[in-house]
Amino acid sequence: MVKKFMALLRMKYIEMFAYQWATLAWSTGAMVQPIITMMVWINIYETEMESFILYFSTLILVERLTAAWDVWDLDRDIREGSFSNYILRPIHPIHWAIAENIIYKGLFLVVLVPAWLVSSFFLPSLQLHLNGWEWMLFISALLLGGGIRFMFSYSCGLLGFWINKVTAVYAMFEGISLFFSGRIAPFSLLPPIMQDISLYLPFRYMIGFPIEVITGSVKGADLGYGFLGAFIWVLIFMGILGFLWHAGLKKNQAVGG
Amino acid sequence: MSIVVDHLNKQFKVHVRQAGWLDAFRSIFKREYQIVEAVNNLSFTIQSGEIVGFLGPNGAGKTTAMKMLAGLLHPTSGAITVEGFIPQEQKAEYKKMMSLVMGQKSQLIWDIPPMETFLVNKAIYEIDDNSFNKTLDELVALLELEPLLNKPTRSLSLGQRMKCELAAALLHRPKVLFLDEPTIGLDVDTQEKVRRFIANYNREHKTTILLTSHYMGDVTALCKRVIIINHGKLLYDGDLDVLTEKLTPYKLLEVHLPTLPNQSWETYGEVDSIEEGKVTLRIPRERIREVSARLLQEFPVHDLNIQDPPMEEVITLAFQEKSHG
Repeated sequence: MVKKFMALLRMKYIEMFAYQWATLAWSTGAMVQPIITMMVWINIYETEMESFILYFSTLILVERLTAAWDVWDLDRDIREGSFSNYILRPIHPIHWAIAENIIYKGLFLVVLVPAWLVSSFFLPSLQLHLNGWEWMLFISALLLGGGIRFMFSYSCGLLGFWINKVTAVYAMFEGISLFFSGRIAPFSLLPPIMQDISLYLPFRYMIGFPIEVITGSVKGADLGYGFLGAFIWVLIFMGILGFLWHAGLKKNQAVGG
Repeated sequence: MSIVVDHLNKQFKVHVRQAGWLDAFRSIFKREYQIVEAVNNLSFTIQSGEIVGFLGPNGAGKTTAMKMLAGLLHPTSGAITVEGFIPQEQKAEYKKMMSLVMGQKSQLIWDIPPMETFLVNKAIYEIDDNSFNKTLDELVALLELEPLLNKPTRSLSLGQRMKCELAAALLHRPKVLFLDEPTIGLDVDTQEKVRRFIANYNREHKTTILLTSHYMGDVTALCKRVIIINHGKLLYDGDLDVLTEKLTPYKLLEVHLPTLPNQSWETYGEVDSIEEGKVTLRIPRERIREVSARLLQEFPVHDLNIQDPPMEEVITLAFQEKSHG
């Protein structure tokens, strides 16, 4: 299995360099929305500039490292029938997507971490003073967030076995997620009712929770509950994914050809 | 027995809608569906190492049946076993011993060279280094792939891509091969090469092959036996020669003369065509010997050819025969 996965990683690495300009756009283009949102908030709360810079810089990093685009690929592949080629091979198609995620996120790290380090010389608020334990908590929250976001996107993609243009459904969830994942504003600025609701939805654990961990805005028992919530959503999406996969294969029309 | 198909059925529920603005809008509130019987009570068996042509007009259900055999589609009812496996169970062991090549769908990774797809398949199908190198060398030589291996797939011509598709499908040496229109869109020369390759491959590796094609050349060159379906139902399963004799009880007799005499040819047989210096007659099979002798005796014949009617004609008759009955 390790050999198979290494071959997929190698192939995705080579493929990534075939899409040079697209890769560059994916690495950097996603910075635009958080930067503009940050400028809006700084304009409103000028005194909080430093904390907004830290929050939205972390948002850029976490958003890229948990990004999920699999629904777009699955929607196209199922609708056009090219998904059959993945089903026919003796390895679960999800491994192709996992390999692609690892390769691209590796690249995002290579682009974003040096950018952060350089920026931190000019912006003191970006100089992090975390101990080993805090780094471990952040990385764990990030991995759980990435896992939830990936499985959410892949599960929506599998709905393509039943409905056309499943990306429309996904876009609706993305709209909701903008608010509940902390991408529009830090949770502390959301109305209390939205803060409460966000605890029970998966979106907070995708992006907002890892940011709260690194910025130190969640502590003690709340930190524990945050990890518990993230872990429960991982389990829920594993169940949903397994169910949709098996039911989808029965429903598959293997169109085209 | 390699493949056993037993009373196989596949129904699709298809959304139907009239063309036009109003009907498009109406379909939001009221969707009408139609049940399409793509495969209808189909049964046949194929022996190990056999190569069988799977024929039918467009929409006959060939590709649907083939996708069920490959495990992509679940049958509505009936049973399939291929080398003892039930395809829709999606067992990895089954996928490792079969291949489906679809002429209109590519398994090659589009933006990188075919060699990369081959290497991915090597790992996924768990092919050891020795077998991989040996098989790849053999495929590269037979299909003349050397100059194509390191060019991005998207820059290959259709014929070049198809040859790489075949190589990708055969690297793990499948025991069962489903070929769905493997020569579609290829030029005559490449069609011939692919045909020769498939015939050799079947002979050397005793691979069971089920082949669909709209090119009768593929079928006559490769298949002794054909299975013909239409509207998802079996029309004919048997020897291609027997089908030809049954449906076209005549042969074409081509007579070449220095100058064509101005006379009626009806006393010899039905005239198929008359061209400069050549007349083609349709003669009942039992009269071929007698008519040939008469023509040779009565005319200064330059050349005389006896041929079976074109396979396209036989197959068209096969499709028509059942739709009348």
